[in-house]
Amino acid sequence: MEFPDIISYAVPAFLVLVIVEIVAVRLMKRGRYDARDSASSLIMGFGSEIAPLFGGAALVAAAFTAAYEFRLTTIPNAWWAVLLCFTLDDLRYYWWHRISHERRWFWASHVVHHSSQHYNLTTALRQTWTGQIIGTILFRTPLIFLGFHPAMVLFVGAINLLYQFWIHTELINRMGPFEWIMNTPSHHRVHHATNPKYLDANYAGTLIIWDRIFGTFVEEDQYEKPRYGIVKNLGTFNPLVISFHEWIGIAKDVFKAKSLKDVLGYTFGPPGWSPDGSRLTSAMIKERWARVHGGDEARSDAVAQQAPQPAE
Amino acid sequence: MVSNLVLESLISLSAIAVMVGLAWLIFRTPSPVVTEDLARERLAFDEPDFTPIGWLIDRDGRAVLAEGADGDFALVSRLGLDLVTRRYPPAALKVSEQGGVLSVAPLDPGARRVDLAAGEAAQWARKFSGAVAS
Repeated sequence: MEFPDIISYAVPAFLVLVIVEIVAVRLMKRGRYDARDSASSLIMGFGSEIAPLFGGAALVAAAFTAAYEFRLTTIPNAWWAVLLCFTLDDLRYYWWHRISHERRWFWASHVVHHSSQHYNLTTALRQTWTGQIIGTILFRTPLIFLGFHPAMVLFVGAINLLYQFWIHTELINRMGPFEWIMNTPSHHRVHHATNPKYLDANYAGTLIIWDRIFGTFVEEDQYEKPRYGIVKNLGTFNPLVISFHEWIGIAKDVFKAKSLKDVLGYTFGPPGWSPDGSRLTSAMIKERWARVHGGDEARSDAVAQQAPQPAE
Repeated sequence: MVSNLVLESLISLSAIAVMVGLAWLIFRTPSPVVTEDLARERLAFDEPDFTPIGWLIDRDGRAVLAEGADGDFALVSRLGLDLVTRRYPPAALKVSEQGGVLSVAPLDPGARRVDLAAGEAAQWARKFSGAVAS
């Protein structure tokens, strides 16, 4: 069984779909585009294809080769194996994604994808440059150790990535029963939102069932429009700052740390962790919102609705 | 292999230029003017426990600096079509004033220096004179 490089084949489709979305957003007046923001996202996407050549691809190849050499069994390259591999890889994606939000070491890489205040198809292409050199490959290696061929694991990972492209849009509203099982634009809008009630939710790649099973599913509320970005939005479109700001933040914190515990906390604790609690983790942000608004999460609806929006 | 990489890169960059160019043509919108109302509403969402007691508003609408009841400062500045909100203790800001322009340089990575032109710039600079940047 051959496993084609479907990402390469999909690149022209990305171009066409982005163009279609730009025109449709204008005509339907639903969603937003900012050329500078899109330029940053697309440069980040371009860089993420080049970055592995600086060592990341070699690390992945070495890890995969070693894991396959010592595999527990050999799973044949059959259609049922592809389905099984896809499902297990999607579960792998869920946990990798969740940990990427819950631990600063991985967040420093993943924050890139969330750093746009816009939500459109170019946001899907805003990808990290450092993902392959920080150990995320360890999440995939167990599948190969189990006996799936590395080419199959890469193939199903690519399908997962492709699936997630189209869900980065505000053009598609709700999708009925499809949303029970599959990740959709509505579910993923929640994931990209900074509204306190939406934080740390909907980590799924393709199947939303993982969020439903592990208790991280949050439904989009028609009365609370998502505000996209990160809780401390970046003040620049510079791709180098976008790519490395959190790593620089970790380095500065570690340099100033007073103990090994602080070093570990700054590096592997939740994003926003600090020894004295002077910064805010997402749990603290939710708690603050509830405290200020008397525990009434619906209050955020009113604020979100009333807030004047910058020009579109 | 190298020539393939160069060719593919050129094709990708051309595609990026097409997408960005189209977005620019269709969505050519000026950046928002940051007003006290806009900043107030934004702060109510991003920093709900921040109580502003004073405002320094850039006369060109680039940014607003707010002083909080707890001693913190909040900076609301524009970035493209959006606003960026940050809250800092005075010591986390490097502030200087020259010719009626207050330059506020946050020390955290990811933020950028913001200039506010306002009549009260010198007065606001003095609020930071005791703070030591850390």
